[in-house]
Amino acid sequence: MTDTDQQAEIERLRARVGALEAELVAQAERAERAVATAQERTYWLDRWHLDLNALMQRPGAAEFRAMVRGVRWVLRGMKKVKRTLTRAS
Amino acid sequence: MSGVSVVIPVKDGERYLGELLAALAREGAEEVLVIDSGSSDRSVEIARAADGVTVLEIEPHEFGHGRTRNLGAERTSGELICFLTQDATPVPGWLEGVRAGFALDERVGAVFGPHLPREDTSPMIARELERHFDGFATDDGDPALQRAGDEPFLSNVNAAYRREAWEQIRFRDVPYSEDQAFGRDLLATGWLKAYVPAAAVLHAHDYGALEFMRRYFDEYRGLRATTGHVEAFHPLGALRTVRAETAADLRWLRERGAPAGERARWAARATVHHGGRRVFSALGSRAERLPAGVRERLSLERRDDGASGPMGAAEAPIGRAISAQRSDDRYAEAARVLRDGPAPLLAPLPGMAERKRLRLAMVVPPWRRGSGGHNTLFQLLSRLEQRGHVCSVWIVDEQGEADDRWPSVLRREIGEWFAPFDGPVYKGFADWHGADVVMATGWQTVHPALLLDGCRARAYIVNDHEPEFFPTSTEERLAEDTYRHGLHCVAASPWLRDLVAERYGASADAFQLGVDHAIYAPRADLARRRDTIVYYARHSTDRRAVPVGLLALAELHRRRPETRIVLFGTDRPPRTSFPYEHCDVLSAPQLAALYNEATVGLCLSLTNFSLMPKEMLACGLPCVELEGVSAESIFGADGPLALAPLDPVALATTIERLLDDPAEWERRSRAGIEFVASHTWDVATDEVEAGLRHALREREPTGVTSPAGDRLRSP
Repeated sequence: MTDTDQQAEIERLRARVGALEAELVAQAERAERAVATAQERTYWLDRWHLDLNALMQRPGAAEFRAMVRGVRWVLRGMKKVKRTLTRAS
Repeated sequence: MSGVSVVIPVKDGERYLGELLAALAREGAEEVLVIDSGSSDRSVEIARAADGVTVLEIEPHEFGHGRTRNLGAERTSGELICFLTQDATPVPGWLEGVRAGFALDERVGAVFGPHLPREDTSPMIARELERHFDGFATDDGDPALQRAGDEPFLSNVNAAYRREAWEQIRFRDVPYSEDQAFGRDLLATGWLKAYVPAAAVLHAHDYGALEFMRRYFDEYRGLRATTGHVEAFHPLGALRTVRAETAADLRWLRERGAPAGERARWAARATVHHGGRRVFSALGSRAERLPAGVRERLSLERRDDGASGPMGAAEAPIGRAISAQRSDDRYAEAARVLRDGPAPLLAPLPGMAERKRLRLAMVVPPWRRGSGGHNTLFQLLSRLEQRGHVCSVWIVDEQGEADDRWPSVLRREIGEWFAPFDGPVYKGFADWHGADVVMATGWQTVHPALLLDGCRARAYIVNDHEPEFFPTSTEERLAEDTYRHGLHCVAASPWLRDLVAERYGASADAFQLGVDHAIYAPRADLARRRDTIVYYARHSTDRRAVPVGLLALAELHRRRPETRIVLFGTDRPPRTSFPYEHCDVLSAPQLAALYNEATVGLCLSLTNFSLMPKEMLACGLPCVELEGVSAESIFGADGPLALAPLDPVALATTIERLLDDPAEWERRSRAGIEFVASHTWDVATDEVEAGLRHALREREPTGVTSPAGDRLRSP
């Protein structure tokens, strides 16, 4: 390998490192943005010190959720019936 | 394992002594020493009659729980030294169990076994013993080892020691609980402790109710002396405990088939027992508060602990043993850095300093609204982010100042209180994922930043010379240490840059604090008064030299009583010898209005120059500062700022000159506006960005090139 070839190889490798570094920065940016977006979304939960994961581990949480789902199921059913009746009339 | 010696301290122990010595003969103990401290019953006779038992008689006053056991260990020769009390009878297999405990690990320094109840033991004690010792075995009831941090319990009713461990630690000469103290010391020095269920003895303190109470008094007095334990006492809580314990006793009896009549009889006794225990253990913990006579009467051993009697030569004091209580403290990171050194940096990459976009991690202490240092940091970070760098904030909060503020809240505070920021905020470093440059920002953030791995370079945004914030102290020395770990400093004035470079040998750049000209600017709608001095009197910050400032204003008031004086920057009005108006902590727009109305500003700093004088100048308000500190490095000796020495009279004279000389006032006001016009946060960000790239460039093997010319100092 001549000096010129060697120099070209070094330049190519430098360019490759530069590209990989740029890729790393872009990846880091996406990751940090995702965390920041999540933090923006959970602001009020954090403000009120609400950890929903911990809350749902507590006794009765699953039952409460089932109850809410039941109520929602009933409400949706009623809405559906109402829509059907409204359309029918 | 060979050579087992058994030591039994005795006083009036004839009831079980014969049975005990017979059991030892059966177990095959090689050497048995009975130490009698003045028995008036047949104890000595029984001991002398037993085969292979040596009897040592000592005077009653020579007895001490620790002292006498040390004596026993000295007078015997076995590699294992077992201690039993006079009423503890080994069960078959006891000695084998003891040997098995020591065989578990060569670091086992002590072995102890359970105390089984005798036939006539009360259910309260039997249940308590059972519950207590069950907790030490494995779930399968097998022997278990205890290490440093585990329960240090040991009981010389039935315990054995490796001679090497005893020689290293020895029993403390304490009136009680010498075994507990030994257990703590044993684990603390790296030995292990083994609990062996098979190494059991029959044992019970079969006292009457009152005797039990007095014994608890002694036990808890001993615990207080050896471990510092103070038994809590809350009347309602005690009642609840007595009820629960009595119910548990009755349940225990029922499980063992006790008839209802017997259970009823024990219910009353158990109530008295547990009630007495609560009261007497609490009293024992606080025995030193009781009169000597009362103490003596409450003690089963009638000990008064020498509270009365002539003053004689004192014995060496024995300190209370204090357990480790803090899992972390504010010096932990510094200690790790001093012990292990900083985490290694990533290998440098050619051209990394010139990359357009960098991953920047800023490590900061927690903030409060209005924090000037944090304002500087976030103004810079916000602009670095706007330039395309990927920025994140990492909070070091070892004091728990921001415990009640979760990351999302802290992130929102940055935007609402300081400057827009789109990146994430992390508390602690559990999610640390590396950076091109990690920026420490205060002395308490440097050591944590040094421990972070995955970084290409470390920089230090130095807002002030923080060692000067402290008197001679650990904090002062640690703050000094922060400049000596090779972080590239980016200092908030040329004075500060030169200081860290020359005094600590740090490589350093400087940046000029910026001014928000949208807020701090001359306002035509506000009339300038000719009689108003505004003074930043933040007396909670020592470096602000507020006592001198107030003396200067007192002198000014003496000369010109009609001058209006306004103090701001603190919510606690300082006490002064002159009348003034107090304005608390003001928002930026309020400050700008105040500066536009006032005649002269006064703002003193004994360390690095702060932003406030620049903001005053930006509003056209001439300002008086201290000479000979840092202001000259920015404004020159006779620039827009009027400088005066740290002397109340000289400061008053400088202020008075500005009040009296309209031409001088006009010159400084105009010069101030012109001077700070170029001092913007964008320019400051340029300088800081250059400093961060310099930190990266310093790591490149090709050597440092300095695009900023002679402003860069690399020793």
